[in-house]
Amino acid sequence: MVLVLALGDLHIPHRAADLPTKFKSMLVPGKIQHIICTGNLCSKEVHDYLKTLCPDLHIARGEYDEETRYPETKTLTIGQFKLGLCHGHQVIPWGDLDSLAMLQRQLDVDILVTGHTHQFTAYKHEGGVVINPGSATGAYSSITYDVNPSFVLMDIDGLRVVVYVYELIDGEVKVDKIDFKKTSTSHSAH
Amino acid sequence: MMKKRVPDWLNSSLWSSNPPPSDDHQNLRYSTTTNATATTTSSTITTSTPSTEDRSVDPPVPVPPPPMIEDPPEPQRIQDARVDNGAKDHNGTSGLPSADDISRQAQLMAMLSRKVIDILELRRIACQGIPDGAGIRSAVWKLLLGYLPLDRGLWSSELTKKRSQYKHFKEELLMNPSEITRRMYSSPSYDTDESKSESRGLLSRSEIPHEEHPLSLGKTSVWNQFFQDSEIIEQIDRDVKRTHPDMHFFSGDSQFAKSNQEALKSILIIFAKLNPGVRYVQGMNEILAPLFYVFKNDPDEENVAFAEADTFFCFVELLSGFRDNFCQQLDNSVVGIRSTITRLSQLLKEHDEELWRHLEVTTKVNPQFYAFRWITLLLTQEFNFADSLHIWDTLLSDPEGPQETLLRICCAMLILIRRRLLAGDFTSNLKLLQNYPSTNISHLLYVANKLRLQSV
Repeated sequence: MVLVLALGDLHIPHRAADLPTKFKSMLVPGKIQHIICTGNLCSKEVHDYLKTLCPDLHIARGEYDEETRYPETKTLTIGQFKLGLCHGHQVIPWGDLDSLAMLQRQLDVDILVTGHTHQFTAYKHEGGVVINPGSATGAYSSITYDVNPSFVLMDIDGLRVVVYVYELIDGEVKVDKIDFKKTSTSHSAH
Repeated sequence: MMKKRVPDWLNSSLWSSNPPPSDDHQNLRYSTTTNATATTTSSTITTSTPSTEDRSVDPPVPVPPPPMIEDPPEPQRIQDARVDNGAKDHNGTSGLPSADDISRQAQLMAMLSRKVIDILELRRIACQGIPDGAGIRSAVWKLLLGYLPLDRGLWSSELTKKRSQYKHFKEELLMNPSEITRRMYSSPSYDTDESKSESRGLLSRSEIPHEEHPLSLGKTSVWNQFFQDSEIIEQIDRDVKRTHPDMHFFSGDSQFAKSNQEALKSILIIFAKLNPGVRYVQGMNEILAPLFYVFKNDPDEENVAFAEADTFFCFVELLSGFRDNFCQQLDNSVVGIRSTITRLSQLLKEHDEELWRHLEVTTKVNPQFYAFRWITLLLTQEFNFADSLHIWDTLLSDPEGPQETLLRICCAMLILIRRRLLAGDFTSNLKLLQNYPSTNISHLLYVANKLRLQSV
C-alpha cells in the first residue's frame, strides 16, 4: 500500500499565491511515500514545501521553472508499476493522446504522468495509462483561464492502482476515484 | 539480627541471616539448599558481574516430559533432566533438584492429569514454585489465569473456540486500509472484461462513499484511523525490538527471533485496537514477554503452534488486574499506581519501621523512584529471566490476585537488603534499589510469605 502524490503546474508565485487552504489542510507529512511533480512549481520555496511533505520527491522540468537542473523526463518504479514523468509542453500537440502514447512507449512505462494543460485527465490506451493531475493551484494555463485546482493521489497496492482525484469545485473539495489493474503479462491497463 | 558494623558490600552472610524454623514446611526447598547456597553465594556474588553478562544463555528450556496420562515419572528421570538444566541456573536453586522439588512436580503432574482440576490445590502447590524440568508451567499458568477451564474434557473445545477468535481478530484488525476499502466497495465490473484491453479512451471515474480517501481527516474514515494507529504501531515496534536483547528467543537476526517479535507485535497491536481506553503503554511488552516465552516452550506441538493466540488471551486476563496502573488519568486515584505505592510504603512501615523511617524520612528516597518499575512491570526487570518466571509462579497462583503478593514481595526485597539501605545515603540507596542485587529467589519468596503470616 504505497501512496503517491501527483501534482504540478502550481506557478507560484507568478500566477498563484499558494495552494488552496483546503488542499493544504489535507496534505500533512507522514502519510505519503512519494511525490511526483510534473513541473512549473516555479520557485524554490515550493520545492522546499513539497520536501517537507515527503522526502522522496521527483520533479520534471516545466518551461517556467526557475531551477534549471530538473530533468526533462524521469522514470521510476514503485511496487509493480513503472511510472514516467514529463511536464508535457515538449509533446506537441499539447494534451494529444496519440503523441503522449508515443512518449509513453519511448519511456516504456505503465503510467505516464504529465501536465501543462492544467486540466485533469486520465486516459487509457494500448500502451498504458496517462494521467494529468491538472494544476494544484488553479493557475491559468496557456490555453484557458477556466481552471479548477486539482491533484491526484495514487494508492499502489500490488497489481492494482486506485487513483483518487481531488478537485476544488466551487470552494468544496470533491474526491473521485478510478480503479485499474495491470495485467501481469501485458502492459495495458484495463 | 545481630548488631554489626557497616558490612562489607559483598558480604554474603546477608543471605543466611534469617535461618528458618524447621517446622515450617514451606521452606523445605530453602533448607535443603541453604548449605549449597551459603557456600556458593560468595562465589556467585564475586562472579555475579560476569554471570550476568553471560545472559546470552537462555534460561532452562524444559525437557519434554512423558505424556501426562501416564504415571508421574520416576525421580530418576527427573534428576537427569534437572542436572542438564541445572547447569544453566545462575543463582538460587542449585544444580540438583531437592526432594521437595521432585515431590511437588509429581503432585502437580498428578493434579493435571485428573479429570477436573482442583484449582485451590493447584494454587497452593504452584505458589511454592513450578519446577522447570517438567514443562508443565505452560499448562499451569493457563489454568491459573483462567484460560483453560477446570474440566479437562472441555479443554479442546474451549481452545479451538478461543484460537479461532484470535485468528478472526487478526484478520479484521491487521488489514491495511487499501484492503479494507477494496473489500467494502468491491466493483466486480472491472475484474471481468479482459477483451476491452485494446480499446482506448477516458478512464471512468467513480464516486467515493463517505469520504473514504487517503487524505481524509474525517473521524470515521478508515484511512484516518490507520494513520493515527500507525504512531502506536511504530511505538510497539520499537519496544518489541528492545525486549530482552540478551535472549536469543527475542532478539537477534534469526528467523525464530523475528517471528517471535512479529507475534509479540501482533498481540500488542490487537490489544491496543481492542482497548481504546488503555491502548499501548510502554512496559506492556515486558509483561507479555514471559507469557509468550513460557507458552512457546510448551512441550506439546499443537500448543506451540497456537502460542500466540493463547498468549493474547492470557495477557488480557493478566493485565485486567493491572490495567489501572497503565492509565494515566488514574494515577492519582484510589486504584492508581500512586496509591499502590503508598500501600507498599505502609506495608514496609508495618513490618520494618526502622527501615521505613530511614528510607523515606532520613534519606528521602521516595518509593516512586524504584517501586514504580517493580510494580508496573511485575518485577520482570529486576531479576534475570529464569528468576522472574519463578516469581511469576507465586504471583499468578495467589488466589487473592497478584497485587497483594506483589506488594509483599517488594516489601521483602526491601527488608532483605536492609543493612545496606540503613548504611546508605540517598544516592547509594537509590542506586542499589534501581539495580537490585541478585538474590536467592526462594529465600525472597519465603520472606514474602512470612510477611503474610505476620500481618493481620
